Amino acid sequence: MADNNSILSVRNLSVGLEKDPDARIIDDISFDLGGGKVLGLIGEAGSGKTVLARALINGIGSPLIYRGGDVHYQDKNILTIPINELTKIRGNSIGYIGSNPAGALDPTVPIGGQIVEKLRSVNPSMSRKQATDRALEVLTAVRIPSPEVRFHEYPFQFSGGMMQRVMIVDALVTNPSVLIADNITQALDVTVAAQIIRLIQDLRDQFSTAILFISSSLPVVETIADEVMVLQQGKIVEQATPKALITKPKHEYTKSLLSRLPRIWGKDIKGPDAVETPNLMSVEDVHRTYYVRKKGTFRDMNAVQAVRGVSLDIREGENIGVVGESGCGKSTLTRLLAWLEEPQTGTIKFNGQDLSALDQKELTKLRQQFQLLLQDPYSSLPSRMSVGRIIAEPLLIHGIAEGTKLKERVRAAMTEVGLDPSLENQLTVGLSAGQRQRINIARALVLEPKLMILDETLSSLDQVEQSKLFELFDKLQKTHGFTYIFISHDMALVRKVCHRVAVMYLGRIVELAENNTLFENPAHPYSRALLSAVPTLDVHPFKSDEYLLEGEPPSPVHIPPGCSYRTRCPLALEICNRIDPKATMLAGGGQVSCHLVDQDQQAQSEQAATVT
Amino acid sequence: MLSFLTRRLFQGAIVLLIVTFAIFTLLRVVPGDPARLIVGGMAPDEVVVQKAEELGLNDPIPVQFIRYLGDLAQGDLGNSFFRPKSGATVGAAAFDDPSRDERAEVRDLIFERIPLTLQLAGLAVVFALLMSFPLGVAAGLNPGRWQDKLAFFTGSVFVSIPNFWLGIVLAQLFSVQLGILPSLGYKGFEYTILPAFVLAVGISPFIIRTLSVSIAGVMQEEFINVAPLRGLRRARIVAAHAIRNASIPLLNLFGIQLGSLLGVLLVVELIFDYPGLGRLTINAVLQRDFPIIQGVAIFISAAFVFINIIVDLAASYIDPRLEY
Repeated sequence: MADNNSILSVRNLSVGLEKDPDARIIDDISFDLGGGKVLGLIGEAGSGKTVLARALINGIGSPLIYRGGDVHYQDKNILTIPINELTKIRGNSIGYIGSNPAGALDPTVPIGGQIVEKLRSVNPSMSRKQATDRALEVLTAVRIPSPEVRFHEYPFQFSGGMMQRVMIVDALVTNPSVLIADNITQALDVTVAAQIIRLIQDLRDQFSTAILFISSSLPVVETIADEVMVLQQGKIVEQATPKALITKPKHEYTKSLLSRLPRIWGKDIKGPDAVETPNLMSVEDVHRTYYVRKKGTFRDMNAVQAVRGVSLDIREGENIGVVGESGCGKSTLTRLLAWLEEPQTGTIKFNGQDLSALDQKELTKLRQQFQLLLQDPYSSLPSRMSVGRIIAEPLLIHGIAEGTKLKERVRAAMTEVGLDPSLENQLTVGLSAGQRQRINIARALVLEPKLMILDETLSSLDQVEQSKLFELFDKLQKTHGFTYIFISHDMALVRKVCHRVAVMYLGRIVELAENNTLFENPAHPYSRALLSAVPTLDVHPFKSDEYLLEGEPPSPVHIPPGCSYRTRCPLALEICNRIDPKATMLAGGGQVSCHLVDQDQQAQSEQAATVT
Repeated sequence: MLSFLTRRLFQGAIVLLIVTFAIFTLLRVVPGDPARLIVGGMAPDEVVVQKAEELGLNDPIPVQFIRYLGDLAQGDLGNSFFRPKSGATVGAAAFDDPSRDERAEVRDLIFERIPLTLQLAGLAVVFALLMSFPLGVAAGLNPGRWQDKLAFFTGSVFVSIPNFWLGIVLAQLFSVQLGILPSLGYKGFEYTILPAFVLAVGISPFIIRTLSVSIAGVMQEEFINVAPLRGLRRARIVAAHAIRNASIPLLNLFGIQLGSLLGVLLVVELIFDYPGLGRLTINAVLQRDFPIIQGVAIFISAAFVFINIIVDLAASYIDPRLEY
């Protein structure tokens, strides 16, 4: 049955639980991985992806147990060969990369040492010198800047994307014939994830490795795989080429997966149009710099410029999105907007009142009107307080209601967000992430605020929960006239709900535009780069070959002079080195900070002048 | 690294200064006139007054303290009240016996005993590690299994055995009945073995417990789980990564446990009549020989501060993420 070209063949593999003879995490899976091919595997959270990845290389332990089947690498059954044989294959002929690069290596040993250690473990005849040379060679191949220096650095000195490159080196350094990539882009920013995918594509040709590419994102798998398998509750329900799978899905589950994918571009896809309403909050040129002691010195400080001059008007009743890569200052801006921290310079006015001019009492009173919703529904709720008490807390703090009136308002808030009022006296233990997030919303809602600041509030929820909460947000906006600020890295979400979008880069807003303008006709090169990295099945207006960035943003400690984006900008001009571009207003109400746009505008106006 | 050292040494110096002041003041306010103690109960009063004047005991305490610090800076810890240079105690001699003036220097008294005490403490630590490592590591690798239970049981028994009882029983067994090991005084290395073993039994429960808990914790880490998939062998993973990462809590514990180790040391040295720092201190306390008590206390706190700096250095060498 196995075709001759197959390098890894899996037959009727089942994995269950030790304690339950009937449970199946992996259920009767068979497939063949052909030499040099990329086989994609797509599945939602909890479908058994990671268990399968590890089961293929005899890497599961208690409480999991094999319940049948076998895995053949060439002519050896990986599940039954003795450990000595196994170590010759695992890590040597079959490489493995996991989803969490930050935890994959010993934090107390430099990465180079660990790669050399691995190389010499699977290949004891290799000398230390040979192993070091080989590691450096592959570090160069994955385009890690200055590999000789980074060889001696520790895992904590690497960003997530760079660390994932290190793990790719770790897997490829033995020149394996099979690579198992288990959700390797999950923990990364979209731009960095797109870089990693492109790197894998390049390396695939260079190393002629067969890859089992596991992911929870169909658009990601689609870009790279020759063939895709769909995993649902431990079973493979469909296997086809990416094209066939997307255009002619056969199984119901595949169809529902496809229908749930958020759309970004397309004929009928449009974001909400901006509203013209009075300003609710105006942010004017706020700055926030943190001072951190330099390691190994007495009192030399590093100035981390987290937010450098952000101006933003938030209109009443609108949804405004703030997007950008990790470390661009989104979270600091959130803290400033929620007035958890004061800006060092610049002002924030809410309803015309300068927040810095208020005394403590007035501030507390005004705080009722703007509320922050956090990302993690688990750590943001006290675990020893009843649900009702958590929601009542703001009312008690502000002294708004007590006794039966308090109970009524709490119950009303619970009903409004779709929580069963009978949960009132329960603890939060055992509640789902969605229910917890609803408690969070109720807690903010009970004060009847005007502005809700949502810091990645929905990113920890699955697609279904997300869209339910969306409907809730929408309903609340209609009944209460809420204004929302969505701080997010999820472009699909922003596309769907935000009226206007601000793109942040290194502590600044580089472009602020209406939804449709930004997604269809962005003005700033960084906006285009960000959009090009978004994984989607839609016809992509921004090809990643053309727009995708290499490298990562500079550290906010050493911000390049001139235009801070020029170090990564493919279109940088000479003027960008010298002069920091000012925000230019665009027709249609957007604004952008880029010399290219300025020059275009200038040329256009000159043209217009000569014509008339 | 250098700035870390200077900072820590500076902090250590301040700690030492405070400790010195506290000890100095405490010893001045307890009852008992040092001058009278030095010259002996039979001396006439004017001799006492003269002696007090000579030693500067009539000056205010801060002045005395500054003078003491000045001497300390030159490495002079003062002279014992009772111990003559010759070695015999002068308690019974007449006040005008010339040996009273030839009192031993505290510094010499301490330094001649340090090697013996270090030898005892060092051997004890070696014994403790030899007992604790196999037990602790095995327990950490097999939580809930018999290795874990054995380690827990051993730890519980060791922590419950009174050291003076164990010392006497071991002396009875090995010295009196079997005659293999000596247990009184010091005439050679073999005299260190029994007291070191008693000390080791006192320390090892803490090492076993810390080691088993931190190894069990490290074994849950992602990088340990992934390591076999990367191609590393189990023995290598445990030896090079699990123990390495688990040793940091152990080092910190060692720095803290040092204090209680010294406490046990005093008792053990007394039981075995081991001529180390501990016995010197106990005799000094019994005789109210303040300069010695003072010198030993300052020396011990200096050692404590110094060893904790070494511990921090070692910890940050193993794990460079630790900010120093």
